[in-house]
Amino acid sequence: MYLDHAATTPVRPEVLEAMLPYLTAQAFGNPSSAHRFGRAARAGLEQARREVAHAVGAEPNQVIFTSGGTEADNLGIVGAALAARDRGGAMCAVVSAIEHKAILAAAHAVCHLGGREVLLPVDREGRVDLDALDEALRLKPAVVSVMWVNNEVGVVQPVAEIAGRCREAGVAYHTDAVQAFGKVPMNLATVACTLATISGHKIGAPKGIGALVVRDRHAVEAIIHGGGQQFGIRPGTENVPGIVGLGAAAALAAREQAAFAATVAALRDELERRLLAVVPDAVINAAHGRRAPHVTSVSIPGTDSEALLMHLDLAGIACSSGSACSTGAVEPSHVLTAMGVARELGVAALRFSFGKENTLEDVQATVAALPKIVEKVRALSAVLHR
Amino acid sequence: MSGGVDSSVAAALLVEQGYDVVAATMKLFCYGDSVPDRPCCSLDSITDARLVAHKLGIPHYVLNFEDRFGRDVIANFVSEYASGRTPIPCVRCNSFTKFRDFLYHADALDCAYIATGHYAIARDGALFRGRDPRKDQSYFLWGIDRAVVARMLTPVGELTKPETRAAARKLGLVTAEKAESVEICFVPDDDYVSVLERHLPAEAPALNPGPLVTAAGAVVGEHAGFARYTIGQRRGLPGGFREPMYVVAIRPDTREVVIGPGDQLFGHTVTLAEVNWLADPLAPGDSVLIQCRYRAAAVPGRVRELGTETIALDLAQPVRAITPGQSGALYDGDGRLLGGGVII
Repeated sequence: MYLDHAATTPVRPEVLEAMLPYLTAQAFGNPSSAHRFGRAARAGLEQARREVAHAVGAEPNQVIFTSGGTEADNLGIVGAALAARDRGGAMCAVVSAIEHKAILAAAHAVCHLGGREVLLPVDREGRVDLDALDEALRLKPAVVSVMWVNNEVGVVQPVAEIAGRCREAGVAYHTDAVQAFGKVPMNLATVACTLATISGHKIGAPKGIGALVVRDRHAVEAIIHGGGQQFGIRPGTENVPGIVGLGAAAALAAREQAAFAATVAALRDELERRLLAVVPDAVINAAHGRRAPHVTSVSIPGTDSEALLMHLDLAGIACSSGSACSTGAVEPSHVLTAMGVARELGVAALRFSFGKENTLEDVQATVAALPKIVEKVRALSAVLHR
Repeated sequence: MSGGVDSSVAAALLVEQGYDVVAATMKLFCYGDSVPDRPCCSLDSITDARLVAHKLGIPHYVLNFEDRFGRDVIANFVSEYASGRTPIPCVRCNSFTKFRDFLYHADALDCAYIATGHYAIARDGALFRGRDPRKDQSYFLWGIDRAVVARMLTPVGELTKPETRAAARKLGLVTAEKAESVEICFVPDDDYVSVLERHLPAEAPALNPGPLVTAAGAVVGEHAGFARYTIGQRRGLPGGFREPMYVVAIRPDTREVVIGPGDQLFGHTVTLAEVNWLADPLAPGDSVLIQCRYRAAAVPGRVRELGTETIALDLAQPVRAITPGQSGALYDGDGRLLGGGVII
């Protein structure tokens, strides 16, 4: 039972089908080549660019394909800092405290390059502090990055508001929309961000493909260097099969978003309702915030995520702790910590994230397995943590 | 599964025998302390264990014991050296981590047994030496809870090391040709002093100069800190004596390291503390075999005195370099491990 779609999703059959010609004899060419093989690949690439642009409400020439969300985030943050330095501006990255590690680490890299980073705090529901944002904007930073939807707790940030404030201040705004795209309505026509990250493998495209929407070419400078592809912002022979896959998946994600959201929200709500009925002291993190429909983060007092995940896996249920370390980090997630969640609850969090193939039976089976697992892990934790 | 060949083969043999096996690697410490920028999550040994488990078709998990291992094993390792003794952290790890904390996880998963790649043989609630005399690891197991022995599976205990490697090769395990690990896992490059330096204050007596004396009390030089020495050590001592000199005693109270000729190293009695029994306790007057060092021969002895957690033994023949902090493991004539304690 796979309840970890925020980690990754299987490639959709339609996506795989769209990609296959670009992996094989039909259209394997290098899109920069002048001959027919190159033209075939180029056609697929540009078509995909249009699909992605259309799906997010941007222009095709604003879509820069990358190797995934992490690279797009790095390009957005480090690239913006480098561009600011060229303009004689401050190499300063302002990021929220609950960003994905890709953003936090990129902001840290800006420091290593001689710049600085500013962390924006969030409230108990994970909502970024807009007063702190205003204050940070006075520093005239190179870029502000606040994610659209948080990957661990699903909190939706007021991105249009943040984008507006950044625009007013003349500061580039980047948003990591990896967990937003296909989950919540995403239309960049109504959100004045400068840069936005999306990722393929969260929406049924393969791993290794993502994109940064760059609506102002001057806002970023390349962080890798090569042959001038993609306007020189992200050179390197394009991953055409991946790009075609992202195009197909993006079109589907945009088209199906509303229906998808309704389906998974119902499953998510049902899981929370039933889970609280059998584990009454469980805490739904950010329960009262505005949340994306596909994710829930649940802390179960007196347990620890590591043991819960192991027991759930052995019971056939795949979910995650939401924290970054794959080998059992003992530290609570930085997201929950930033939200002011107590350490005991921070180390005891489970993230369930739904996808299109999940059913009510999955929810029922999960909830049915939980009480016994919780009881066993509580007994274990009581011994190990005394 | 440590990611080494022994536990890999142990898991493989159990799968072959039809057990329902859950694999786990214990994450006991973070290399990040000594090797900055190296994330512990990518430790090669964990990857090896994962690959083996995947090949065997069994689930594999990483269990984090950093806090408890740090407290029960590393902190003890440091304090023992600081007290002038030479500890064996592997014994503490078996007693407190592998066969206690790890067992809590096994219990929570309703696992009937816990299996390891130890060269020892658990049979009918009793623990015996492993079949390969050069690899036998029973010496390190005296401190585990007696009740746990009945739940131990030791699939490689009946094998010799070459047989284990052959089995790994036959099974195509990635760990088949892996070099033997002889180091203490949390001590990089065998440099235990650097671990002590990280954990002890700079002014700790154990790491600072003190007098080098003879048994007669003559000061013959200065040493760089008694924690750098162990009983029987010859390296690092001044020359110019008529016969080779060895460390024969360490006196932490006065920071003295006592040196003497080889004959002063032999002892006729041993006293053990923290005694634990894996069989019915012996009584004064009982005969027993005692092994005072890993890979040393066990010698006959007789119980002189028995306290609640101590035992004093007279040895039938003198034993060289009986070292406080090392273990005294007690065996019967059939190679059954009866119990043991820490030499004081």
